[in-house]
Amino acid sequence: MATTAVGAAFLLLLLLPFSISIPQPISDSHRSAASNLFNQISPSLEDAYEALRVFEILAIEKKPLDTADTCKKVLENLGSSSPLKDVFYALKVNGILKCNIDGTIFKDIASRLKATLHDASTLLDIYYSVGSLVLIKDQASDVDVLLTDANGIFHSIKALSQSDGRWRYSSDNPESSTYASGLALEGLSGVISLASSEIDQSKVSIVKNGIVKLFDSIEKYDDGAFYFDEKFVRGSEPQGSLSTTSSVVRGVNAFAAVTSGKINLPGDTILGLAKFFLSIGIPGDAKDFFNQVESLSFLDSNRISIPLILSLPETVYSLTKKGQFKVKVSTVFGSAAPPLTVKLVRAFSTGAKDSAIIDSKELQYNQESGFHFLDSFPKNVDVGTYVFVLEIVLHDSESENVYATGGQIHVPIYVIGVIKVGNAEIAVLDSDLGNVETHNTLDLSGNDIVSLSANHLQKLRLSFQLETPNGRVFKPHQAFLKLHHETKIEHIFLVGNTGKKFEIIFDFLGLVEKLFYLSGKYDIELTVGDAVMVSCTTYYFKVTCSSLILLYRNLNKNILFQENSFSRLLGHVELDLPEAPEKAARPPLPPVDPYSRYGPNAEINHIFRAPEKRPPQKLSLVFLGLILLPFIGFLVGLLRLGVNLKNFPGSTVPATFATLFHLGLAAVLLLYVLFWLKLDLFTTLKTLGLLGVFTMFFGHRILSYLALTSTKLKSA
Amino acid sequence: MAKLIFVFLTLIPILCNSFTPEKTSDRRILVLLDDFAVKSSHSLFFKSLQSRGFDLDFKLADDPKIALQRYGQYLYDALVLFSPTIERFGGSIDAAAILDFVDSGHDLIVAADNNASDLIREIATECGVDFDEDTSAVVVDHSGYAVSATEGDHTLIASDDFIKSDVILGSKKIEAPVLFQGIGHSLNPSNSLVLKVLSASPTAFSANPKSKLTSPPSLLGSSISLVSVIQARNNARILISGSLSVFSNRFFNSGVQKAGSPTKHDKSGNEQFFTELSKWVLHERGHLKAVNVQHHKVGETNEPSIYRINDDLEYSVEIYEWSGKSWEPYVADDVQVQFYMMSPYVLKTLSNDKKGRFFTSFKVPDVYGVFQFKVEYDRLGYTSLSLSKQIPVRPFRHNEYERFIPAAYPYYGAAFSMMAGFFVFSAVHLYNK
Repeated sequence: MATTAVGAAFLLLLLLPFSISIPQPISDSHRSAASNLFNQISPSLEDAYEALRVFEILAIEKKPLDTADTCKKVLENLGSSSPLKDVFYALKVNGILKCNIDGTIFKDIASRLKATLHDASTLLDIYYSVGSLVLIKDQASDVDVLLTDANGIFHSIKALSQSDGRWRYSSDNPESSTYASGLALEGLSGVISLASSEIDQSKVSIVKNGIVKLFDSIEKYDDGAFYFDEKFVRGSEPQGSLSTTSSVVRGVNAFAAVTSGKINLPGDTILGLAKFFLSIGIPGDAKDFFNQVESLSFLDSNRISIPLILSLPETVYSLTKKGQFKVKVSTVFGSAAPPLTVKLVRAFSTGAKDSAIIDSKELQYNQESGFHFLDSFPKNVDVGTYVFVLEIVLHDSESENVYATGGQIHVPIYVIGVIKVGNAEIAVLDSDLGNVETHNTLDLSGNDIVSLSANHLQKLRLSFQLETPNGRVFKPHQAFLKLHHETKIEHIFLVGNTGKKFEIIFDFLGLVEKLFYLSGKYDIELTVGDAVMVSCTTYYFKVTCSSLILLYRNLNKNILFQENSFSRLLGHVELDLPEAPEKAARPPLPPVDPYSRYGPNAEINHIFRAPEKRPPQKLSLVFLGLILLPFIGFLVGLLRLGVNLKNFPGSTVPATFATLFHLGLAAVLLLYVLFWLKLDLFTTLKTLGLLGVFTMFFGHRILSYLALTSTKLKSA
Repeated sequence: MAKLIFVFLTLIPILCNSFTPEKTSDRRILVLLDDFAVKSSHSLFFKSLQSRGFDLDFKLADDPKIALQRYGQYLYDALVLFSPTIERFGGSIDAAAILDFVDSGHDLIVAADNNASDLIREIATECGVDFDEDTSAVVVDHSGYAVSATEGDHTLIASDDFIKSDVILGSKKIEAPVLFQGIGHSLNPSNSLVLKVLSASPTAFSANPKSKLTSPPSLLGSSISLVSVIQARNNARILISGSLSVFSNRFFNSGVQKAGSPTKHDKSGNEQFFTELSKWVLHERGHLKAVNVQHHKVGETNEPSIYRINDDLEYSVEIYEWSGKSWEPYVADDVQVQFYMMSPYVLKTLSNDKKGRFFTSFKVPDVYGVFQFKVEYDRLGYTSLSLSKQIPVRPFRHNEYERFIPAAYPYYGAAFSMMAGFFVFSAVHLYNK
């Protein structure tokens, strides 16, 4: 629960990015948003009714939907079997569109509704039936809708109420709901208006007390907006705070309309509710839009008190432009308020709450524009943030009872102006003596850059002055000095002020650790900014910065002007720092550029091994020839020796052996040739085995024959 | 009866299937809110999601009945946390459950704000995003604020420092600056999965705008990230924003003028920025798939089981990008294939035929071993592709070497002349008289 409350409180803040605590009344932007939001064809009559009602309240002439089509749908839904909810919304739509509906249809429905009402037990049934009857009463005066048993129905609704002012949906559902309270109150008011005889006034006053009790459970935001929150109730749709609040407003408004006498509710609560609805801004949901606009229309015309909304077109004022402080008071729909005066009770700087710069001043009223304005800021208003306390004083004491103004209203105001920047200088000092080694005067509005060099025994001093238009010292929110090393490592220092002067002294001896002993070039960048330092070329200023500076320079040449929150490079300092000791902290890794992580890699081509160098083919052939020469020489030698083959055996058997042996040898040698040309080792070896056996066998035969013949010869 | 059971059994896989990019019609998103009013105040953002076919389920963050999964099946495909102040979720959801949800490949959108709860900060930290620890700090920019007549403290800033990526932010340039009001965060430089989409300007800093600074702010300059995205290794995408109001209708519709700039835009860049960004986060852009990886020798069509060194081969892969409705051919000229064993031996950029097919051809290096075809495609904003296919490479067989080497002819000549001589000699020796 607590989280919802925190969440809701936070939500209000986030819904109000532009105007915290100062709600704006409904304006034309609401109207154009409505035209956009409700331009879709509505599927149900409930949506159709909401669209029509919003257009009616906002006085938009264009119709959100086709009248003939919708009337047809209305007629369909007024049939005898359609559910109560559809009948209710059909009648509501008819109330706006005024479709041509036969009186008998109304009669049929009225009798049906009365019958339902007689034995209805749940709140929703009663609500729809009574609501429909009230609508019929308005739309067809000749139909008898008066309830004879009004007191009984009143009682049956009342029976669902709880002691804390909230109501239950039905008697068998013990959980009470704020949303249901709104429905119940609307139902009760319907019963009162339909009653054929007077309702017991004591009962009515009990309900009134119940309403006051119900408002005890109202919740509040810090800025004074009031709303109702709904816990989750079993057996019903979850309701947001907007629909819950709007349901209560609708119910209370209806009840107040039919009863005499005032309901005792404080005007602040009504104003708070109006603030709540306005703070929502422009809802993006049709239902929320309807709830907001309808509730506001009820608040705008209620009998308890009508809220007046104070709004400011601007909260940022420029001293240079001499702007007028303007305030508008209007009703929630932006229409004119009764004669009144806006009083500026007090205005004080946020820094010094006790010393008011303006005390009790009445704002003047401009009839034409409808603004209450302060013609000029007093002389003592300097740049800064202020809180203006405003109060609405109604001229007519009568209307004080009618309107809720909300007492004192605190408004934050920013007064911005041109800040003078002067006496900027940057110097390198010797550490011991404080002697100024190099000294540079800077023009902070220009673009000139200084180049300095220093070692770790020296100091660097930067000083400048900031002055408000009234000549007071200005302390900006942001005064940073950035030292930016080449390796993208940054160091930030706050520039503090002593008296009038902003000064920062870098004692490099004490800073070496912090600078990670990194020597080299450092960029010096100064950033000065504040919410109230004037920004150029914005629409507060129609003049450009350069012309403004020129103007000021012509007036007083010695003062330099800085027109804006600025951030500029002052120059570079070349630092010569000692070597880092071993234990010194390593500088952090610089941030990686996200773009460099991606992108294609360089292509890689494989470098193949170079083929071995070979002699040219001709050379090999020449050597082949040379190699064959000894063989030729051998053959020639044999011929020269006169070799013969006369010893070749003459008889058939040895001659066959000899032939086969030499054939075998030739085959083996041929096998070697084939081995080179095509055969692999395995085939070669197999064949060689066979040929070997064959050759060996015949070799053995022929050799033994030759040996035998030669032994025979010798012995002979 | 048996027929009925059969029908039911065949229906089970259809009823139980979870999300695939092929099926967009029922992408379901759970939206957790602090208050139902956000549903209406941020309706433009929600409407843009609904119009793109997403089914949004709005729940209060402390609703005791919310659950991300039932019976081990996730009920949603994405989660939107628009509940910056929630301290404890209702139901069974906690930070660990949300991280499990992301770990199983689902998307997440988180919006924090000035008073972001520890729970939201914890979820962001787990995603690699560190919000400023100072709970009162917001991003202030005295030079780059959005000009407004009613907003004087310069916390409403107009930022136009976008990430340069067409795939994340769409190809249409965002002209108007984006309005931002909220807290800043920093990213760990060593984290390569998280990207700064919207950065603050160099003059921005994160501090309490109402109090004087006593020490340099911890977050400063363009290192402040306003909106970041994370693409996890499982391609789950996360969007983290330091502000919830950036999604609101008010910011979507508001005009913007950046301080110091003469142009006033009628409409801030928020709507375009967050619509495009949500398209990326919900995988309507930048989601790649690679199919049909093929490789074969030049002149053949069948994939071999092994290559020989110095073979010429062709490699091809088809890559498609999900467009939100269908798979479109992906066109790029920086897809590369590596032929990899311990380190890449060949790295080649693939050519493409604009129909999604990427191809190249190269010679197998003269090193044998077990190689891989690797496509490591990791581009800014795209889901990463990591394909690898193992293939062994063998050396020449003994009979695949060159047989007739002219340089060796003298040796052959010598051997054969020797043999011939032997044959002649044997005959002469045996039969000479």
